[in-house]
Amino acid sequence: MDKLEHYLDQVCRSIGGPRSMREHVRQELREHLRDAVAEHKAVGMSEEAALDRALADFGGPEQMRQELEATHGHRLLPVVIDKAMQWKERTMKAKWLWMTWAYLALGVVIVLEILLITFNVIFIIPKFKKLLSDGMIDSAGLEEDGLTWMVNFLHELEYVGGHFTTWMLLAAIAAIGLFEWQVRSEHKPFIRLAALGSVAVGLMVVIGLMVLSLVIPFCVAMPAMGVMSRPWAVEQTISADVALTALEQAQAKKDWVAMADHATQLRTALNRLSAGPALTSLSRRDQQGNLADLRARLRQTQQAVGDVQQAIRDHDTGRLEAALGECRKAFEPIRDAAKRPAS
Amino acid sequence: MDTELLKGTLSLLILALLCRKSMYGYEIAATVHRDTDGAFTWREGSLYPSLHKMEQAGLIVGAWEEKETGRKRRYYRITEAGKAALADKRQSWSELCRAVNAILEKS
Repeated sequence: MDKLEHYLDQVCRSIGGPRSMREHVRQELREHLRDAVAEHKAVGMSEEAALDRALADFGGPEQMRQELEATHGHRLLPVVIDKAMQWKERTMKAKWLWMTWAYLALGVVIVLEILLITFNVIFIIPKFKKLLSDGMIDSAGLEEDGLTWMVNFLHELEYVGGHFTTWMLLAAIAAIGLFEWQVRSEHKPFIRLAALGSVAVGLMVVIGLMVLSLVIPFCVAMPAMGVMSRPWAVEQTISADVALTALEQAQAKKDWVAMADHATQLRTALNRLSAGPALTSLSRRDQQGNLADLRARLRQTQQAVGDVQQAIRDHDTGRLEAALGECRKAFEPIRDAAKRPAS
Repeated sequence: MDTELLKGTLSLLILALLCRKSMYGYEIAATVHRDTDGAFTWREGSLYPSLHKMEQAGLIVGAWEEKETGRKRRYYRITEAGKAALADKRQSWSELCRAVNAILEKS
């Protein structure tokens, strides 16, 4: 009669009142159901069928419980437990959905991390190593700042990624297979999630170190790159000065064709000066605003050259003279900066 | 039979039966079923909340008794207050039947 007792448990579990009264109610209901079962068995039903019929005729446990609670009141704790069980049932139904989402999210994160590391190992780190070997990134400077370990880390990462990828993949597959085959625990899904989370965190640490190792040496090396571009910047300044002088001489001879050529050469030299760290290498670091001033002068010079070229096309002598004067005036500080020794 | 019409009559039936003799719950249900030739189809379990309410109201009194079968059952008997309540309910029921029949006969 386990079914009978289970039914009585459901009906009587939260009835209020003294324990003795609750026991009496339970006993009374039990006796009624036993009488009903006996009557049904007397007309030929089996034990199980008779019990089912008796319970069906008696009424659903939920409705019975509510009617008895309406008469006797209810106990708070069973009601709280009931609510908790209902909540648990609701959340358990959604459990598979949240677990699936967790697996998916972690899987996507891990795949993206692996792709990012692979991309850097294949494309970015080799370029970084080339810059290092070409001297564009100053190794001595990195050593002074104690950043050599970052470069070593990138070397090791490239080496491991290039030589052991297949082995790592096989090891991962073997670990997964072993886990799924051997681990028998009720917490297995959570262990699996924890393992995936740990892998994601570990890869994130690798990515963090990789990014820092690429960015910090670059930032440290930038001033060196600026210094290295000074000879080139001086060369372009001299070219521009020569072109400007030749332009002034052609103007005196009223040779419009020669003037047009020299103006083009001047423009080209000025455009090269405006690119990259060329102007930076000419500026004085100890003078705040010097670089901004040089940039402004360069822009003025380029604008003046534009006016010169227009005047040449128009064969406008007056405008040409004025534009040349503006050009020379704007270019003077840049020429002086190139003549100064490097700071 | 329309179960809506049965609501409210259960306590009347219980008091009327207990006026004959003291009975236990299953006996009350079986007697109703037998005397009405099975016309009443109701949830047997709804008997007990009604019995307990009437016991709380003092209309009936329950006591555990062991009869010749050896099993203990809770027998209910009507009290004086229950008899008075029964008389009131009979009166109300008669008036209700008269009024309803009056309408039904005219329609």
